[in-house]
Amino acid sequence: MTALLAATGIGKSFGGTRVLDGVTLSIAPGEPVGLFGPNGSGKTTLANVLSGLLPPDEGTIAFDGGDVTRMPLDARCRLGMARTFQIPHPYPSLTVQEAVRVAVGSAGPRAVPAGGTREEKIGEILSRSGLYDQRLEPCGRLSQGCLRRLEFARALACRPKLLILDEVFSALSAADEEELLALLRTVNRESGAAFLLISHNRMLLSATCRRILYLEEGRIVREKAV
Amino acid sequence: MCPSTRKESAVGGWLAAGIGLLLLFPLSSPDAYLLDVLTTGFLLAAFTASWDVVGGISGQVTLGHALPFGAAAYTLAILTRLAGWPIPLAAAAAVLVAAAAGAGIGLLAAPLSGPFVAVLTLALGEAAHEVAAGHAFLSGPGGYAWGGEGGIPVALPWGDVPPFASYYAGLLFLCLSTLGILFFCRSESGLILRAVAGSPLTALASGVPILRFRRLAFAVASAFAGAAGAGFAIHVGRATAGDLSLELSFQAATFAAVGGRGTVIGPVVAAVTLHALFQGLSLPPAVRVLVYAATLLATLRFFPGGVAGTVREAAARLRPRERGRGGRSRGEEAPPGNSP
Repeated sequence: MTALLAATGIGKSFGGTRVLDGVTLSIAPGEPVGLFGPNGSGKTTLANVLSGLLPPDEGTIAFDGGDVTRMPLDARCRLGMARTFQIPHPYPSLTVQEAVRVAVGSAGPRAVPAGGTREEKIGEILSRSGLYDQRLEPCGRLSQGCLRRLEFARALACRPKLLILDEVFSALSAADEEELLALLRTVNRESGAAFLLISHNRMLLSATCRRILYLEEGRIVREKAV
Repeated sequence: MCPSTRKESAVGGWLAAGIGLLLLFPLSSPDAYLLDVLTTGFLLAAFTASWDVVGGISGQVTLGHALPFGAAAYTLAILTRLAGWPIPLAAAAAVLVAAAAGAGIGLLAAPLSGPFVAVLTLALGEAAHEVAAGHAFLSGPGGYAWGGEGGIPVALPWGDVPPFASYYAGLLFLCLSTLGILFFCRSESGLILRAVAGSPLTALASGVPILRFRRLAFAVASAFAGAAGAGFAIHVGRATAGDLSLELSFQAATFAAVGGRGTVIGPVVAAVTLHALFQGLSLPPAVRVLVYAATLLATLRFFPGGVAGTVREAAARLRPRERGRGGRSRGEEAPPGNSP
């Protein structure tokens, strides 16, 4: 099967520090993949490079059959590669509904399925991510759990083919974590979106992913099927 | 009625009352000087509202907003005086020139943020001001030198205009201009600009091409600034280097900060009020600048959201929560999709 995401020989340095060193990985369409590694192993840098927030110093990245190595974050999002951040950066003056509206509007026509309307899509995302009752709240006043949900909702808005989820379950209560995990599984099952779940919680990855990549000192040192 | 609708109704009520008072004001037989001060205030308020599009809504604090204002004033003066264009056509061209100038500034400023935007725009504005002030580049009939500090006169097809006619024209212009800016700010583009100002990173990750939207903000704000500049040139009958001055840019930024950046209405009310207050008190220019600076510092120190922002915050704190988290009021629609 053709890979949805194929990264080859990715290298990234900051000053004299080599953070990523020849990382090669691929993700098939619909495949749930985990990325595990200790603090400082380069997980977030890899997420930043794969999603287009940082350009790689070396290597190439192909997504959905096209070379996206030099493509910025926003353009990759419009192609269907969505990501969340370890630390959410909410829009302080926008409501939850407006934040989702921005994401749906920016994703272009692909965000709204044929026969549907944008409002229906926004309502569906809010409902799915458990934010419907908070839709009129300013994003700046949301709890940590709701902020994580909003990150998720924003990522779902572009009908992603691939979700890059950077520590999306950290600092959540057990109940919130369980609900978000259920949502992630549903999205994966129903829409066939692949995901790269980044975490240093091995149990969580084992319970969620089909394959786990182990990153240490900027290199993929092991790969394990679950 | 939901809280936001009620709040908008209250603001609309206050605005209607304010406009009503301004409409009735000339009937109290004020002197021509006061009417002129208010007319200039209306035009400056429209200019301040245009600053709020780029400096408030999109968060790109510009200190060179006088550039499109002055460019439009000069375009209008040159086209009417030299090319003999009728005022409406020249005014339309002036707005287009201002929008083009704004698009050019946006091209340079969009990749920047914070103080870098302020420094770049300040430099561009001052360069334009120096060029306009230092060059008597045209010679009019009778040996008059045009340009320089004296500027270029606008060829007006009418003679002396009664002060109350200018007053009402200025007020109408302010209302239309503010409505246009509010319309833009409440559009999809305005929403995206507020998102970009709030968190550029999240906007990027949502698929927003933030540079394109920042350039749009500069172009739209400059078009409205150009309309105000053309109006100002018509009002005073001349385009001068002062129309490109740093003081004018600072004035807009100060009025907007005091009124509440990003609220549009707040900066408009602050601009009319503060301009009338300072001009009405007939303060010397040097004292006026000091008062502006003190007002700006006091606002930033004690009311960082400006008057409108502070009032909004206070209202939000006082308003009882109408719905509990997770609850819906009776009769409210259920969530679509897989609702719980």
